[in-house]
Amino acid sequence: MTHFQPGRRRFLAGLGATGTAALLSGCVTSSSTSKTSSGGAVTLQSNLSAPQAKAAMQDVVAAYAGKKTGTVSLNTVAAETFRTQLPTYLTSANPPDVYTWYPGSVADAYAKKDLLLDLGDLWDGPELKGYSKALRTLCTATSGKKVFVPATSYWWGMFYRKSHFEKWGVRPPTTWDGFLGVCDKLKSKGVAPVGLGAGGNTAWVASAWFDYLDIRINGAVYHRELLAGKRRFDDPQVRKVFDRWREVLPYFDPNGVAGAFQDATTALLNGRSGMMLIGTFFADAAPKDVLDDIDFFRFPVIDPKVPLAEEAPTDGYFASARTGRRDGVLDLLRYLATAEAQETYIKGSSGTVLPCHPDAQDSGTALVRKGRAHIEEAVEITQFFNRDSSDALQPTADNALAKFLAKPKEIDGILRDWQRDAEKIWTA
Amino acid sequence: MSANSTALRRKRAATAGFHLSAGTLALLWLLPIALVVVTSLRSFDDIAANGLGGLPRSFTLDNFRQAWVDGGQQRALINSLIVTVPCVLVTLALAAMAAFALSRYELPLRRSLLLLMLGGNLLPPQILLIPVSKLSELIGVYDTLPALIGVQIGFGVGFYVFVLHGFMRAIPAEIQQAAVVDGAGPWQIFWRVILPLTRPALAALSALSFTWIFNDLLWAITVLRSDTKMPITAALIGLQGQYVSQWNVIAAGSVIAAAPTVAVFLRFQRHFVAGLNLGAVK
Repeated sequence: MTHFQPGRRRFLAGLGATGTAALLSGCVTSSSTSKTSSGGAVTLQSNLSAPQAKAAMQDVVAAYAGKKTGTVSLNTVAAETFRTQLPTYLTSANPPDVYTWYPGSVADAYAKKDLLLDLGDLWDGPELKGYSKALRTLCTATSGKKVFVPATSYWWGMFYRKSHFEKWGVRPPTTWDGFLGVCDKLKSKGVAPVGLGAGGNTAWVASAWFDYLDIRINGAVYHRELLAGKRRFDDPQVRKVFDRWREVLPYFDPNGVAGAFQDATTALLNGRSGMMLIGTFFADAAPKDVLDDIDFFRFPVIDPKVPLAEEAPTDGYFASARTGRRDGVLDLLRYLATAEAQETYIKGSSGTVLPCHPDAQDSGTALVRKGRAHIEEAVEITQFFNRDSSDALQPTADNALAKFLAKPKEIDGILRDWQRDAEKIWTA
Repeated sequence: MSANSTALRRKRAATAGFHLSAGTLALLWLLPIALVVVTSLRSFDDIAANGLGGLPRSFTLDNFRQAWVDGGQQRALINSLIVTVPCVLVTLALAAMAAFALSRYELPLRRSLLLLMLGGNLLPPQILLIPVSKLSELIGVYDTLPALIGVQIGFGVGFYVFVLHGFMRAIPAEIQQAAVVDGAGPWQIFWRVILPLTRPALAALSALSFTWIFNDLLWAITVLRSDTKMPITAALIGLQGQYVSQWNVIAAGSVIAAAPTVAVFLRFQRHFVAGLNLGAVK
């Protein structure tokens, strides 16, 4: 039943295609010129979607509303949705005003595109005066602008259960050799010494091992340069990281790459594995009655000459450069930087995070007090692989580390591939 | 006699074998669903201590309360229904009218139109995410439920027209000719002759489109950004924390989110199966 000449049909298809293209290009250019809204409540886009963290944020917002200096509307989006949609939010014509996110190179990437509000006035004010120099540097973009307000941080460490260590007759080691000794002893007792949890959708957990070995062997400065693309992954110094890793690899839980980290923490709590390099957020996945039994020790020092560095990712807020409510945004951020706001959040949340304000109280548990001292002793603070580089570089690490865990002998080829994959992202 | 009994025995063994293997398959099929239901009834401490695969040692209905109240599923479910019900009605109404015109009348360009609709369906939705979100911003409907309704209708209508066109074309021309002889106009033919005959297809498609639209997440997070407007699927991933997931609450949320589609499926079960081979035979 063909009534039409193919030529005519092709002409129509072409007409449709050009029309669509014109429409699309039209909307891309014009949406960036449309005006942003001003007045009304400041919108705070939050990725803290877990019920407890969400409730804690609601407390903070309510406390701010009680001050009557401004109004804010909290908008909580699923963490995963937030992560994928953040670039869309920031580039939209009418973006939300304030966002929960990470400082350092992640924020810097947005600052380079002129998407973040300059918070210099805020940092000159009294509220942020007392913040440490390290945080000040962390919140400064390469352009020299301050773009971030830090709120809380958490830390990474070798977590274990005190009662299990007592039962097995081992003590937290401080040196690399001591660490290997503990691993040996646990293995002889039929316990998997080191849990991992790099399976499921948490392959990124393995990056903690890479980060820590690198900052212990090559130092934090080298580590940052490496992640920024100023060094190479097939560098002999990176190779040394994996040589160390291979010493401890036989002690890793054979199921370490089978399950997600929540499965690995269950194994740790049950005594099927001995210890685990993990962030404090894992305490949220522990039953309430074992929380007091959880302790941690510092990732063993390998080379005492390397300045002591620890991983302590910071969370906080930045604001859109296109906001039409600049004064309201600054007022809200000024409040979020106070000790009071951070204490309100910590009280409402699970309480394993540390406040960034130097005078703010933490939750006061033994674990948190130890964690605070643990970070204060460090000379250098790193964030985490993806936060020190970019979300785009993280999959290259996941890929390379998964291959290394499966076939540690092929490390040279793996590092060459990693460098090749990373270059594509650095030059993109 | 003996030959007869051997045949009988063989037949019985075959029947037993069939039931055994089909039963096992059904059990395997149901296992994940059972796991979700069991998990939704366990406490978080139980899961954290014994793992997801461990034997349940607790029983609680509190997870459903947490998902419904704290997780905001009540509002999300209402949002989902506000989007889904008008979408299904409008899409099918538009598609039925378009399919009627395209299949029963010698319209110019009808083949190109159908091919265009089919082509639109072959296009992966991912490449349209950014244009759709920018376009909705430009029109000023970004972050509103009508935007989501519009997008769902726009993306659904092509496929339904294609299916309904195939179905309506199979209706004998004599029926329509008889109606014309009796003095019926196009509208009357559509409303009183063709539409009643298309009912099985419409029922199957409405059940299918209900599940598709209700279960959609991609378009919702593309055109919406306020938590108060998100549909149930977006609320469900919202239950997942940044690092730690409370599997018991998520499982309870999944049970809640699945309930409406299961209800629709049970109601339209017959049409669902019929829908599978719609338009397959031309």
